[in-house]
Amino acid sequence: MTKILTIAWKELYTTYTDRSLLLIMIVTPLALATIIGSAFSGFFGSGGDLPIRDIDVAIVNLDQGSSGDIFVNVLVPPADASPETLLDNPLYELTNAVELGDADAARAAVDEGTYPAAIIIPADFSEKVSYGQNDPIQPVSVEVYASSASPVSASVIRTLAESIANQIATGNVTVQATIDAMIARAQTDPAFGLRFLSASNNDAFNPDFTPAFDPANNPLTIEQQTVTGESAITFNPLVVFGSAQAVFFMMFTALGGANSLLEERRDGTFQRQIVTPTPRIVLLLGKFLGVFLNCVIQVAFLCLALTVVGSLLEGRINFIWGNNLFLVALVVITVALASSGIGTIVAALVKTPEQGNIIGGVISLAFGVLGGAFFSVDGIPGIREFRVITPNYWGVDAFTKLAQGDQNIGLNLLVMVGIGVVFFALGVIIFNRRLNV
Amino acid sequence: MQQDMVQVRDLAKSFKRQNGEAFFAVKGVSFNIGKGEIFSLLGPNGAGKTTTISMISGLLTPSRGEATIGGSSIITQPLQAKKLLGVVPQEIALYLSLSARQNLEFFGKMYSLGGAELKKRVDEVLDLIDLTERQHDKVETFSGGMKRRVNIGVGLLHRPQLIYMDEPTVGIDPQNRRRVLDTVLRLRQEMGMTVLYTSHLMEEVQEISDRVAIIDHGEIIALGTVSELIQKIGEEDRLIFNVGMQTVPDALLTKIISDTTGVSKATFERHEATEGAISDSLEIGTGQILVYAKRGRSALPHIIQITNEAGIDVYSVQVREPDLEAVFLSLTGRALRD
Repeated sequence: MTKILTIAWKELYTTYTDRSLLLIMIVTPLALATIIGSAFSGFFGSGGDLPIRDIDVAIVNLDQGSSGDIFVNVLVPPADASPETLLDNPLYELTNAVELGDADAARAAVDEGTYPAAIIIPADFSEKVSYGQNDPIQPVSVEVYASSASPVSASVIRTLAESIANQIATGNVTVQATIDAMIARAQTDPAFGLRFLSASNNDAFNPDFTPAFDPANNPLTIEQQTVTGESAITFNPLVVFGSAQAVFFMMFTALGGANSLLEERRDGTFQRQIVTPTPRIVLLLGKFLGVFLNCVIQVAFLCLALTVVGSLLEGRINFIWGNNLFLVALVVITVALASSGIGTIVAALVKTPEQGNIIGGVISLAFGVLGGAFFSVDGIPGIREFRVITPNYWGVDAFTKLAQGDQNIGLNLLVMVGIGVVFFALGVIIFNRRLNV
Repeated sequence: MQQDMVQVRDLAKSFKRQNGEAFFAVKGVSFNIGKGEIFSLLGPNGAGKTTTISMISGLLTPSRGEATIGGSSIITQPLQAKKLLGVVPQEIALYLSLSARQNLEFFGKMYSLGGAELKKRVDEVLDLIDLTERQHDKVETFSGGMKRRVNIGVGLLHRPQLIYMDEPTVGIDPQNRRRVLDTVLRLRQEMGMTVLYTSHLMEEVQEISDRVAIIDHGEIIALGTVSELIQKIGEEDRLIFNVGMQTVPDALLTKIISDTTGVSKATFERHEATEGAISDSLEIGTGQILVYAKRGRSALPHIIQITNEAGIDVYSVQVREPDLEAVFLSLTGRALRD
């Protein structure tokens, strides 16, 4: 065990005293994640360019009144819309909204992956949100049925639904509050009552009701339903893109670290270890423990650094990864294990360090793309199905779920541990055989 | 009676070519190395030296045969055998981003050294290789000679009973080369280490070795002390007389053979090109008389006298005593450097 730790420590020491390596491992992913995260924060906050577009969404309007039409009108372009109209409305660019008639069919389509999310407006929506003196506004939920496999798109749709609901609520609550106040005054001031009655029959009445909206009075809620039945997604771009960048660059670290075993063979330092009275399995375990610890440290550091970045962007201390630190640590460890396992098998199969660098780079890049390090592949059929073969997908998905308060990451952990253990064991066996010529 | 530190019996190694055909890089070598002996494997590049040593040190699994170090089999008791072995590879097998001390400490731990004992050994080795003052500098900042000294130091750290040095003087200047050879001699003299040394440089093998095995095409073609090997080809000196552009008649060559005691052969050669030339320092076109003689130095004055009497001026003379180069040439028909 001492020798395993000695080799692992040497691995860590040589890594963390190499400035150029640190630049690649820590600084670059942190900078990229911060830039992307900030860009997204700008979009969701004060506006900016649209980094996501053409999100498929189904809208089911079961409302027997007219308020539900607002959702449809805002998101689905009119059939006769001119190109200028389509271009002028950024929401038409953001979504590909389709109106469906059946809520169950819409949910099934989300389950099948046809849509990342569906907005389902209940039959009594208008009845509950409309003002009436004897029938005040009542709480009502609009359902956003979302796929947990597409957290980014689902979060965008939920944000949109919330925004539209807020606007409906703004109008209706304001109207209700103002009219209530005017009726009360009219009851004590006959002259005002006469003017009010006159004005209420005038078409110019409505523009008078423009007080500020108080969110506390919002009776509308968005009920988030994911495919797995969990609730409440809050999309934090730093979590999604930060973790994707962290895992993407960690894959480089894992593949590069494992490949360094081939470099050690080329340089003779590995042979020098072989001629010591040390079993080969100990040498290999020490080497790959070092690689694994490098990965753990890298991702853990990036998670911490992104928390600081997130807190600075929000102006308050915010642990963006959710409130279950234990599960976050487990995700860090398992995603590092899976990546180290892939690094091990690649190092065992290639013949030279140069070959390892090329193949490792290609794998890292491909996994990074599939894992969403550069853009979301949620809406790309034929590609999104392959995400599941990458630790990047499972890792980022687990980080995102935890950040959303969803602790159902057992499958993620299991898959990552499986990838890590199987590939690591296979890699060690193959490598040992190649040494034993 | 001297005990054997190393016993090698019919050790062979085959590899597969890309076409699937097997070939033997080492074709069944056998030799013993006594305790405290400096034993050299001499042969040209590709002769099988490194493959033989790689099997003994556990880097390669033998296809056939057996070897023991201090009585422990390299096949059935590899860890025990490796404890007795120190290895100094030909390449600089060090972590360049670590300091000299960190390299020594790392490899010391791989030999299960630790704590105060490790510190003491590292200090001793740094002193031995004369790098105490630069111990905390990264190896990448060292000169070639200094790196090679650290390379040797790593092999000595655990005080092995047998140290294997693979061409340790390759690529270093004469001063550092001298220092390495002195270190090898000190290891045997002061620590009683057994040294297994490989080289293609005949001069240094001849200088330090108690016994030499000449290996070629995966086989040991001669084994013994330097003097034993030379005796095998006859103990004749080679005398080389540079006569410039003059031409030497056959009658003079006959007279040298018949009138000089101990001379077996005399020839005249015009230096046409480097291939097959006796001395590369001669200008092309110059001639030389080549004489083979026992006790060549004592025959020298008489040969010069006969030559002068024949009207031939001798511009310079070289006396070549028999060496391993000549032995290799005699056994294989080609020079070591070929």
